[in-house]
Amino acid sequence: MITADKILNIILRRLHQKGELHPVRKFELIQILSAFICVKILLFLITFSPPVLAAEPLPIPTRIISLSPATTEVLFALGLGDRIVGVTSFCDHPPKAKKKAKIGGMSNPSLEAIVELKPDIVVMTTDGNPREVDDRLRSMSLKTYVWTARTLAELPEGIRELAGAMGTKESGEKLAREMEEGIKKFRNQKPGARSRKKVLYIVWPEPLLVAGPDTAIHDAMTLLGLENVAVHARSSYPRYSIEELIRSSPDVLIIGKGAGMDIRTVSQGILKKLASVPAVQNGKVCYVSDNLYRLAPRVIQGIEELAACVR
Amino acid sequence: MRPVRMILFCIVVLGILLLALFAGPRMVNPFALTAMDREILYSIRMPRVVVAMLMGMALGASGAILQGVLRNPLADPYILGISSGASLCAALGLLSGFYFFGSLSVPLTAFIGAALVSVLVGAFGWKRGGLWPERLLLAGIGLNFLFSAVLMLLMSVSSDEGLRRAVLWMFGDLSMADWSLIPSAAIFIVIGMGLVLSRSKALNAMILGDEFAHSLGFAVQRERLILFVAMALMTSASVSLGGTIGFIGLLMPHIVRFLLGADSHLLVPASAVAGGAFLCFADLVGRSLMPPMELPSGTVTAVFGAPYFLYLLRRKDVLSI
Repeated sequence: MITADKILNIILRRLHQKGELHPVRKFELIQILSAFICVKILLFLITFSPPVLAAEPLPIPTRIISLSPATTEVLFALGLGDRIVGVTSFCDHPPKAKKKAKIGGMSNPSLEAIVELKPDIVVMTTDGNPREVDDRLRSMSLKTYVWTARTLAELPEGIRELAGAMGTKESGEKLAREMEEGIKKFRNQKPGARSRKKVLYIVWPEPLLVAGPDTAIHDAMTLLGLENVAVHARSSYPRYSIEELIRSSPDVLIIGKGAGMDIRTVSQGILKKLASVPAVQNGKVCYVSDNLYRLAPRVIQGIEELAACVR
Repeated sequence: MRPVRMILFCIVVLGILLLALFAGPRMVNPFALTAMDREILYSIRMPRVVVAMLMGMALGASGAILQGVLRNPLADPYILGISSGASLCAALGLLSGFYFFGSLSVPLTAFIGAALVSVLVGAFGWKRGGLWPERLLLAGIGLNFLFSAVLMLLMSVSSDEGLRRAVLWMFGDLSMADWSLIPSAAIFIVIGMGLVLSRSKALNAMILGDEFAHSLGFAVQRERLILFVAMALMTSASVSLGGTIGFIGLLMPHIVRFLLGADSHLLVPASAVAGGAFLCFADLVGRSLMPPMELPSGTVTAVFGAPYFLYLLRRKDVLSI
């Protein structure tokens, strides 16, 4: 085996020779030199690199792209608004998010647009972003962070983790605490099992789409001790049967805010059909904002609204 | 004809109608109706069954007419662009804030769109004082592509959630069926039906070719125009009742032809009744399969109908229009 010392000796001997180097010699020299450099690099990698890399602190990402409206809201709430360089076309909250560059939809973001923005990190979710996007971004050696929180209970931990990866541990801790306290406050107000009210959250009246299990809305209902009538549906926002709605006779109907059209006008048709349902008879039809549609910090306000509806 | 098959056919249709009314994820006992049962029966199931019946009848009959008029086994009421034109018109109406008629605005704009497109297709198909099958078909296909493309464009450009859902509505939804639309739609469908039934003889002759029909003493161009109008009326009414539901218009006439023969006297009414009954059945399956969720009837029709169609196709030697 050639050692560094041996190579150095050879080089020095050659250099001490007078006159022009013979071309063959020259070639030999280059060969030896490059071999030397290779060996040096190898030695460096083997002996020194691991401790050096570990000691280096994780770079704080300064150019963040968010691939889902929920993570956009969390990032803004963490005070990272200025570092966000790109969002999806569905990111409409807070209002500042609308001014960020758009990279397309959640399920079909434009890879070109993402690459052009030169992000340090791309924040995506398991709920709405396809896995392939993650794979493609990684294969182009872009860093991704995958947000996995899907329930209200997982939200504080999710915030902490995301804040850690973004290098803002303190604000993450603060926001997570706020969430935890907000949730705890409502848990303490839970009524007894006897007064459990039956609730249905209508996301869109025609065709009838409601909030099923696996949604922040369902979690909020459970937290408030309410019974979600659509708990047996097999998807998050199922197309629900009106017959089933009438049979389950919910005490409170909650109608979420829809974008575009006035939800009160659109709901007239279905409310006419539901005239015999206790909620409609007792005037317990409640129109709420879109605060609960996304698992983001403003769910707390959403739970507040929900609590006010059933009070 | 085939009396045994006819009787069987009638029994099956009646059975499906009764099942659609009283069966489902929860049975309604017709002899012991509670107040809630009665409400569900009158204000939810009955309008649903009536709408399904009307839509299926309109589509089945339109399909039978169109296949005869165009002399093409691939013709279906939607191939002429009527449905995509209706969707586009409804979407444009929503975008421009047209919502004066509450929940009736979408059906109304859809009907206007369907009627306009029918006139447009007719105008493109018109040459030398008459409608020409090939022209109609090609004009329809062209318009269909155009309208679908514009609709997709609108959907991908607009972030308006309401628009997306209205477009979703166009993909066949019977769950919101309600009495308010039924009378006006039924009038159009009855007129269309009457027109076709009075022209069965002409339709039979036209299937054999224009010259043949002419030699039998039919004014081919006039008959074709009347049949086209009847088809357009029925299809437009069905689109405004519940959006687009595939399969029935295209394959129901073929299934009826396999079972009962190709005589238009029988084919058109039988396709209509079979289409209606089949849509009722599909709706019943759609709401019973995974309660409390509902599956869209349009997909159920194809999932159940297509295999049966293929089975009949394998068994049949000679095909006819």
